[in-house]
Amino acid sequence: MSGVHVRVLVAGEHYALAVDQVLEVAELGDIAAVPGSPPHVLGVHNLHGQVVPVIALAARLGLAEGEPQRIVVAEQGEVKAGLAVDAVIDVGELPEPSEQVESPYLLGAVLLDGTLVGVLDIETVLAPISSSSEAPG
Amino acid sequence: MSASDEEIHELVRQEAGDCLQRMETNLLALESGEGGSEALDAILRDAHSIKGSSAMVGWREAAALAHSIEEHVEEAREKGSFPTELAGPLLGEVDTLRQTIVGDSTPAPTAELGAPTIRVAASKVDRMLDVVGETVLYHRRLEHVLGESARADGAAAEQLDMGERLLDNLQDSVVQMRTLPLSTITTPFPRAIRDLAAEEGKEVELEISGAETQLDRVILEGISETIVHVLRNAVAHGVEAPDERESAAKPRVGRVELRAEQRGGMVAVEIADDGQGVSAELIERAEKEGSLAEILAETGFSTAEEVTGVAGRGVGLDAVKRHVESLGGNLELQSEPGRGTQVTLLLPLTLALMRVLLFERGGQPFGLPMASIGRVVAVSDVTALGNRPSLELEGEAVPLSDLGLLLGATVEDLPEQPPAVVIESLGRRLALACDALLGEEEVVIKSLGALLAGVPGYLGAAILGDGRIALVLDPNHLLKAPREAMALNQAEETTARAAAQVLVVDDQFAARELQRSILETAGYRVQTARDGREALRRVGEIGDLDLVMTDVQMPEMDGFELLEAIRAEQAHSSLPVVIVTTLGDEVSRKRGAEAGADAYIVKEEFDQQGLLETIERLVGR
Repeated sequence: MSGVHVRVLVAGEHYALAVDQVLEVAELGDIAAVPGSPPHVLGVHNLHGQVVPVIALAARLGLAEGEPQRIVVAEQGEVKAGLAVDAVIDVGELPEPSEQVESPYLLGAVLLDGTLVGVLDIETVLAPISSSSEAPG
Repeated sequence: MSASDEEIHELVRQEAGDCLQRMETNLLALESGEGGSEALDAILRDAHSIKGSSAMVGWREAAALAHSIEEHVEEAREKGSFPTELAGPLLGEVDTLRQTIVGDSTPAPTAELGAPTIRVAASKVDRMLDVVGETVLYHRRLEHVLGESARADGAAAEQLDMGERLLDNLQDSVVQMRTLPLSTITTPFPRAIRDLAAEEGKEVELEISGAETQLDRVILEGISETIVHVLRNAVAHGVEAPDERESAAKPRVGRVELRAEQRGGMVAVEIADDGQGVSAELIERAEKEGSLAEILAETGFSTAEEVTGVAGRGVGLDAVKRHVESLGGNLELQSEPGRGTQVTLLLPLTLALMRVLLFERGGQPFGLPMASIGRVVAVSDVTALGNRPSLELEGEAVPLSDLGLLLGATVEDLPEQPPAVVIESLGRRLALACDALLGEEEVVIKSLGALLAGVPGYLGAAILGDGRIALVLDPNHLLKAPREAMALNQAEETTARAAAQVLVVDDQFAARELQRSILETAGYRVQTARDGREALRRVGEIGDLDLVMTDVQMPEMDGFELLEAIRAEQAHSSLPVVIVTTLGDEVSRKRGAEAGADAYIVKEEFDQQGLLETIERLVGR
């Protein structure tokens, strides 16, 4: 999927998501933990009076813990959530993913300026949590 | 907030308007040869809805007209074809019905009727509510930034106060746009039920509880006719005629209960009657096919043998089920032949206003509905039996949990003598220890969102005055949680000794209840007595008693005397008796053995596992 993407830094790696899936970027700020939720859920955030769940993107992708500073608020169908990232790098045109990647959370990857950028599959990243157990990721 | 009759009538009028509109569309479709049986079913449902709600508010003429439309359409449905020339007359009847409902409302209806309303998407009101909440926060921050200087300036302080009042006002108005208590629609029910029962030659009492439960207005407004259907079914099909009840050894006056409560992220509205229930064959069929609600909701199915003006044809439940499901809810139905029927509408909670008690654990605020809280205590004396700490409250042992651990959070130790919130529900109590109490507040409960909908234990979240988010806990889930865990550990043994029954005798409530809880957890059935005399009487009464566990020092008759009295009776001479006492001296032990005790346990040496092993051995299972 080529088009304008938001490129983010997560635990030292580069990832991108399509700009039309992004509602806004906000400071991480206070997060209220939700005991009982899976490890990749940081908690809930007060975003202009709305209660928005925040996903630790690093944990979701199985990376080492980064230093989350910002949240990229994304929406997919009924699900709205913030993705905690270390930083937003830039917004720009991204070519079609050329590399195959073995991850349910990535559509693929693309080489940009010598750096591999993983393109997020927002549908699986924001998949609702089932009450029994988390699907292996 | 209580609704006037006029509000109710307006609601019924609006609903009937929607129904009439759909009926017209469907009739037109049938006239042009389209539509088919689905259109017929839809017309039947709408006519039935109007009949129900009109009768409920006493619009007899409208109810009769709707019934007549229903009859005509039913005839056509039974014949299997709809003669197109029938559409004209039926459309005429729809027009008459519309006129009747508009003209038949109240003595001076036209003025109120003209009150203009606007339709706004609920999401827009939600957005407004979010922004108002944020504005309140910004106002507080502004005040904080301006600090003392602004307070000192009288004019500035006045303006700030004014701003705060206006914002509060605005917030209330927006919340009212979005939620209403269930009482808004239940007010006319008791009267209507009496009238309806009279018409049917029955005596029925309606009891309503939980009417203060706040519901999403969108859902509430759509649900009133549905509740009316179910109530009417309860009176028409459920409750028997007074003579019939009497011969079945039931009180002449039937009971119908309407209960509402929040249950997890849903609101449960239960309508229960103590009537005849459905037939045993149906229950059997439901066991095979899965769901009683499904079977009863099949179009054309009815539990009543005859079709009366009140209800019938089973069209009602079909409409109820569809409607509840269209709102994102579920319909549950339980029935016991001869005992009654219970219909539960589980409705989604998208937003609600609730009074909560706020408290902190691990630096994070949490809330619990005030309605679920019995009291708040400072934890000082903790009684522990086995590994389970308990508090003694009003002579009862109440299990005590650290809220943080219970939720599975990683938290620091509790302070010394921490406060504990005692929650009560479904006859159970649980004390939850926390770091500090923050106070009582009325908050807007927001959903945790689709992503977290599967995480159990929360009613939702509330944004506090300082911008922090408090998770609002589901008391029913907390009360269930620890028991579930234990039930898992003990599951295997539980089934094996399901039948064993133990009588626990102790004059101290806490000790008695702790022993009860240990035994019950291990799968025993437990009876209790407060002293030897009561125990002796219970021994005679309980037919299948397997073991007696008794304290020694008790008023009236002590444990040794009890033991001797039991042994003196032929029938109970071999009934196992275990003595559980603080008396650890040799003389007492000897006295116990001589009197015929099967085991002697000293309370100070008490260990749960040892006790259970002893009992298991004596009961012989």
